[in-house]
Amino acid sequence: MSEFFHQYFDFTVMGDHFSEVLEGFFKNLLLFAVVVLLALLWGLILALIRQLPGKKFAPLRFLTIAYIDVLRAIPILIILLLISGGIPYLEFIPKDIRIPHWFGQPDPFWYSVLGLTMVYGAYMAEVYRAGIEAVPGGQFEAARSLGMSYGKAMRHVVVPQAVTKIPAPMLNEMISLLKDTTLASVVALGEAVLVSREILAESFNSSAVILAGAMFLVITLPAARLVDVLIKRNQAKVTRGAHIEVG
Amino acid sequence: MRKTRLTAIFAVLLLALASVAVAGCGGGGDSTSSGGGGGETSSESGGGEPLSVGSDIPYPPFEQGKPGNYTGFDIELMEAIAEKMGREAEFQDTSFETIFRDVAQGKFEAVISAATITEEREQAVDFSNPYYLSEQAVLVKEGSDIKTLKDLDGKTVAAQQGTTGLELAKEELGGSEIRPYPEGPDAVNALKAGTVEGVIIDAPVAQNAVEKSGGVEIAEKVPTEETYGIAVAQGETELLEEINKALKEVEQEGTYKTIYEKWFHLEPPKEIESETHEAE
Repeated sequence: MSEFFHQYFDFTVMGDHFSEVLEGFFKNLLLFAVVVLLALLWGLILALIRQLPGKKFAPLRFLTIAYIDVLRAIPILIILLLISGGIPYLEFIPKDIRIPHWFGQPDPFWYSVLGLTMVYGAYMAEVYRAGIEAVPGGQFEAARSLGMSYGKAMRHVVVPQAVTKIPAPMLNEMISLLKDTTLASVVALGEAVLVSREILAESFNSSAVILAGAMFLVITLPAARLVDVLIKRNQAKVTRGAHIEVG
Repeated sequence: MRKTRLTAIFAVLLLALASVAVAGCGGGGDSTSSGGGGGETSSESGGGEPLSVGSDIPYPPFEQGKPGNYTGFDIELMEAIAEKMGREAEFQDTSFETIFRDVAQGKFEAVISAATITEEREQAVDFSNPYYLSEQAVLVKEGSDIKTLKDLDGKTVAAQQGTTGLELAKEELGGSEIRPYPEGPDAVNALKAGTVEGVIIDAPVAQNAVEKSGGVEIAEKVPTEETYGIAVAQGETELLEEINKALKEVEQEGTYKTIYEKWFHLEPPKEIESETHEAE
């Protein structure tokens, strides 16, 4: 039992390597920040394409649904390995794009951005869809009958209402995303898990890994509480006869 | 109704998958077997009791193969050593984590398992003279300008997590961005893909990559302090002396060189031979 605590909860080891692990954790946060912005946008685009009406857009709808389904069905780890290992081989792409070193970040960072955005865009598209579908059909019809075009009706009436219904499930996706940034360790990005596993390899002590976990807790635990608050607040609105959130 | 039936079908599918997975893992247990490698050695030696040897298999090219037909550098070397001792090596596949405890407790007489001689391990077991000197290789793309380890300073370099190669890179290449990949082949792939300019990795692994994957070459080999030894329980002085004597004979006769070249496709480093002899 004491061996267990020594192996995983040695505070001396944690203290000695605190700044290294923290530096790695900042990489997770940076990756998270970039991906969250891109995925929120990409997810909305996917959701809107999926809602396009009529026969004309059937092929586009089909492709989008296929994309969302496939990306949600493959382990992110495999997508990251494929991207980081595969894209550099595509010689028809200019080298600066194929092996990007933008804004002082190494290529594993950008491969992780791409992979996580592709997957989380698909996850978030589903959340948006739930939001859009929760807006009563009458809203859209009323907007159209006032002479708004399809695009205007979506932009000014449906989407603004849809996004007010989804903060809680979206925040859940974000919590998952923050945790999944650790998958970037597989493409050798020096984030918290990779750094702490390196410390494990040198010291044969796992405490740095637990320290990395604790850093995630500091962010994800309050975020989980916030999800609950959002849900409660929404329920209060419902009882007052306002709109309904999904999730 | 429909929903429950679907759920049931899914459950059955999942169960079937799980059972296939379990069955798949059931193979390759820890069965005891006499060493493979052709078996020519066994016919001559018949004399003494079989020599039971523990090894964590597979760890190619040191130990590999299926039960009853194990082979590899360690295996063939141990067979040659046992033959000199007038005994027949009998290999037992075991887990590396517990291998030293097991030999100390007498589960088998000796361990040959690409085991680095360390002070920590020497407190639990006794090691033979070193039989293998591990070297690190600087792996680069074919036709690269990089000729030595130092040339990599300031460049992007890959290594495998938790390995000597990674330590070497950190010590020697202060100006480089060093990327620790989870597995060696990931690092080699990054080199081939062009995202890193060099890989520092165990020489046999590098040689394997050169032969099997192509497009890469070894720029330089760097010796390390690491040597591998055969472990026996503490106090088994007689057995240890016999092993050392046999190891020396195997080397002097040239059998060592033959086995080395067969498995590593490289000349054995000079240091290892002199070291083995000196340590007598």
